[in-house]
Amino acid sequence: MNYRGFALVATLGVIAVIVLLAPATASGQTLSPVAKTAPAHKVWTAPRTTDGQPDLQGVWTNNTVTPLERPKELAGKEFYTEAEMQTLAKHERERLDQVEDEGQPAANHSGVEGAPADDVHYDFSQFGLDRGQAKLAWNRRTSIIVGPEGTIPPLTPDARKRLADRKAKAKGHEFDGPENFSLGARCIARPNVAPLLPSAYNSNLQIVQGAGYVALETEMIHDVRIIPTDGRPHIPKSIHQWYGDSVGHWEGNTLVIDTTNFTDLSPFPGAQNLHMIERLTRADEDTILYQFTVEDPGMWAKPWSGELPITRIDGQLYEYACHEANYPLANTLRGARVAEEQVAKKAVK
Amino acid sequence: MKTKLFVLFGLLLVAAPAWAHHAFAAEFDQTRPLKLKGTVVKWEVTNPHSWIHMDVKGDDGKVVTWMIEGGSPNNLYRLGFTKDSLPPGSEIMVEGYQAKDLSTRAVGKSVTFADGRKLFLGLQARESDPETKK
Repeated sequence: MNYRGFALVATLGVIAVIVLLAPATASGQTLSPVAKTAPAHKVWTAPRTTDGQPDLQGVWTNNTVTPLERPKELAGKEFYTEAEMQTLAKHERERLDQVEDEGQPAANHSGVEGAPADDVHYDFSQFGLDRGQAKLAWNRRTSIIVGPEGTIPPLTPDARKRLADRKAKAKGHEFDGPENFSLGARCIARPNVAPLLPSAYNSNLQIVQGAGYVALETEMIHDVRIIPTDGRPHIPKSIHQWYGDSVGHWEGNTLVIDTTNFTDLSPFPGAQNLHMIERLTRADEDTILYQFTVEDPGMWAKPWSGELPITRIDGQLYEYACHEANYPLANTLRGARVAEEQVAKKAVK
Repeated sequence: MKTKLFVLFGLLLVAAPAWAHHAFAAEFDQTRPLKLKGTVVKWEVTNPHSWIHMDVKGDDGKVVTWMIEGGSPNNLYRLGFTKDSLPPGSEIMVEGYQAKDLSTRAVGKSVTFADGRKLFLGLQARESDPETKK
């Protein structure tokens, strides 16, 4: 890693990181090294832990306006210009002001993608959960997924069939019992832990290092991935875990994490042999560049990669004891039983 | 480019966070909107959802306790809100939808103090500007 390369980044912050990254990543799906060259005004040296490893510790957020997949309208455009990004930021500010001024949601603040504004849901901004109410990690990418396409590659025919079968089997039984609910609704696993992706809210994480280990704790949903960096092999293939089995090693300033042993239910339902490589590189005092590549030849036509900055926040993580107050599960089941009774009564009449 | 950006902003408006804890339409009934005015009994500062318990006096003078589902409290804490910010006895108004099980539970789409102030007004600490480095 070229330390001098970080100098400009240190002075310009998050935006600069992305500006520097742009030329390197625009060419294809290959993950870019962090800022290769830059004029050295002031040398920023990546901090080290007491045992000499790059220090990634702290409380961070990957809260972002960047979607995972590139919107169709932006096909072929991997990066915004600086001016476009400032317009985007302005729009983001105005969006929230509109909500504040009128006392009503200006648009969809339901947190459900594509939901109408009057969706049966609380207004996120009412509870401090709108993404604009928290610190955002800005970058110029138009999608987290890198490369000219910026989308998840097509499913293989086998995977399409697997998922269609699964969907057909579940149809009509969505509310039979708690086991029919999604992993997220059951507070078991969420899709923001491995890979580290932003959540709808509380997109915060804490990194703690000890000799031979790195721990990645995500606030949602209070999960910790403990990653050994002592060169040990993966656990036996027969063992499957919600967030897989991660082993790590250091390459210069970068923590490289290799993860296998996922279940076929998460994080990408239907993927049976998921292999993921993540790279965490300290880019400046307040920024970690996060990059990941996933592959599963039985699932997608080709591997795909994503990257986004993670930025430092003040304060601490708060507990997210999801199981403790998961009343919605019981409420929904009771609601489904009431609905069934009503249908039965109508049938008798 | 102008057109593209315009389209993009349209997208961003709806491209709200892609994930919610559960399907709200399965728990609450869109055909049963309600407006409740009453006093806070307690606020459960819990995850995945906070719950405001409030006493509501009906037209018949009878007081019924409702439970109102709201958001995760973590970010409210981060914005300076504490459990004491919504003490028992506070008069609030809730607009929301009743639970599908027809119990006295509802989702609080919006929650305001009785005088119209937004519950969490003043907590909009703006950290989202790209230039803003904290």
